Amino acid sequence: MELLNKKFPGVYCKKQGKYKNIYTLNMVKGQKVYGERHYKEGPNQFREWAPERSKLGAAMMKGISQTGIQEDSLILYLGSASGTTVSHLSDICTKGTIFAVDLAPRVMRDFYFMMEKRLNIVPFLASANHVEEYAEIPQVDVLFQDIAQRDQVRIFFKNYDKFLKPGGFGLLSLKARSIDVTKKPGVIFKQVMDELNQRTTVVDYRKLEPYEKDHAFFVVKKRV
Amino acid sequence: MAFEKLREKCLNKLRKDLKDSVNDDNLIINAVNAIDDLEKTGNMLVTRLREWYALYNPEFEKWMTNQEKFSDLILRKDKKTLLEEIHAKYSIGADLSREDLEPIMILAEQARDNYAIINDMKKYMEFKMRKHCPNLLEVVGVMLSGKLLAKAGSLKRLSQYPASTIQVLGAEKALFRHIRTGARPPRHGMLVQHPLVAQAKQKDHGKRARTLADKIAIAVKVDYFKGEFIGKKLKKALEDKFEVKY
Ligand SMILES: C[S@@+](CC[C@H](N)C(=O)[O-])C[C@H]1O[C@@H](n2cnc3c(N)ncnc32)[C@H](O)[C@@H]1O
Repeated sequence: MELLNKKFPGVYCKKQGKYKNIYTLNMVKGQKVYGERHYKEGPNQFREWAPERSKLGAAMMKGISQTGIQEDSLILYLGSASGTTVSHLSDICTKGTIFAVDLAPRVMRDFYFMMEKRLNIVPFLASANHVEEYAEIPQVDVLFQDIAQRDQVRIFFKNYDKFLKPGGFGLLSLKARSIDVTKKPGVIFKQVMDELNQRTTVVDYRKLEPYEKDHAFFVVKKRV
Repeated sequence: MAFEKLREKCLNKLRKDLKDSVNDDNLIINAVNAIDDLEKTGNMLVTRLREWYALYNPEFEKWMTNQEKFSDLILRKDKKTLLEEIHAKYSIGADLSREDLEPIMILAEQARDNYAIINDMKKYMEFKMRKHCPNLLEVVGVMLSGKLLAKAGSLKRLSQYPASTIQVLGAEKALFRHIRTGARPPRHGMLVQHPLVAQAKQKDHGKRARTLADKIAIAVKVDYFKGEFIGKKLKKALEDKFEVKY
């Protein structure tokens, strides 16, 4: 097991034949969150991070250059769903905290059982559009959003303005279809890129093919 | 841990919020989905049962096309009686021994129980809907009401849909194809299951689905805001307009 990239503490990788898998070190020994495989090395248990199931995992596989995620990061995660990706962030940010927001009780129920033993996660059953419902969280180093909503860019900036530290990173996962089914994904990505560039600095951008169809992943950095 | 207190507070609130979030929509939607599953497995069971029983009494198996009655009758009546009832002079089926017949009958019992459970669940749904969405129930019946709710996710969401959306609910694929490529728009989605549409001539399907969707849109709005019962009126308006009873 070796680090995937010096810039990504806590993200490991291992070549298996032609393929490369990525892993995080399981914080809760024995726990499987979404049926992922475990990998034992010495006293350590790693959890395989499936890029088809997690857009951040896919972005990593697609060679994203920076995410801003460190061991001690404070992360605001919007659209945490049942916690597939958050569980890996929880493995990574052993000295940090993830504030997770989702509005759907159904997925939050699974999330609840995932996080019971993970002390670095703070959950909010709320809409990312109602920032006042989680106003008590601190300023964060990383803002992550994956909510598949038509007005997701507006919601992203609402949270960006209120919670992201200057110099902090914003990670936006975008499903073209959820913005407009009539337009070609490429057109929508361009449009979002322009919108982002007006307000912030886009430092990286990846399409998530073949892991996700018509999805893109943007990394922005808030000016100091 | 740095945010221990905040975490504890949020966790307590989450426990309570999740507990409180369970509502009639969730219960009804689970019941309708369960019925869907039971109908699928039930059909599989009876198909197997027919195949097996036909070794013994193929005449009755051919004659009785109703699945539910088939499972029930082969349990209640013996081969000789059934053959008499359908006026079959002889049977080309094998004379199976008691031991060979027994597993077939066990399967038949399972199939019959399956139908009984489905019927009980439908009664349960009707009971819930009489309070939750009486107008919708009156206009489209138990199963279609449940399916519409399941598709929308909740009565609230369904009540926010315009009639044009309700008309094509369940035909999302065709709808997206229409939006993207300009192919013909779908005329109806799951409303085709309603007798008013199902029993109409093909060319009238679109118009009927449209009119039905209008009434459904009204019904669910009144249901959501817990208004008065206008289901009978809505249903009568539909029946009068198309001169059919359903
Ligand atoms: C594609 S899933 C996210 C998957 C997750 N990020 C992962 O990788 O494990 C989108 C989630 O966004 C949630 N969502 C949609 N709109 C939202 C909003 N306005 N506020 C909070 N969550 C929202 C949905 O409930 C759903 O769980």
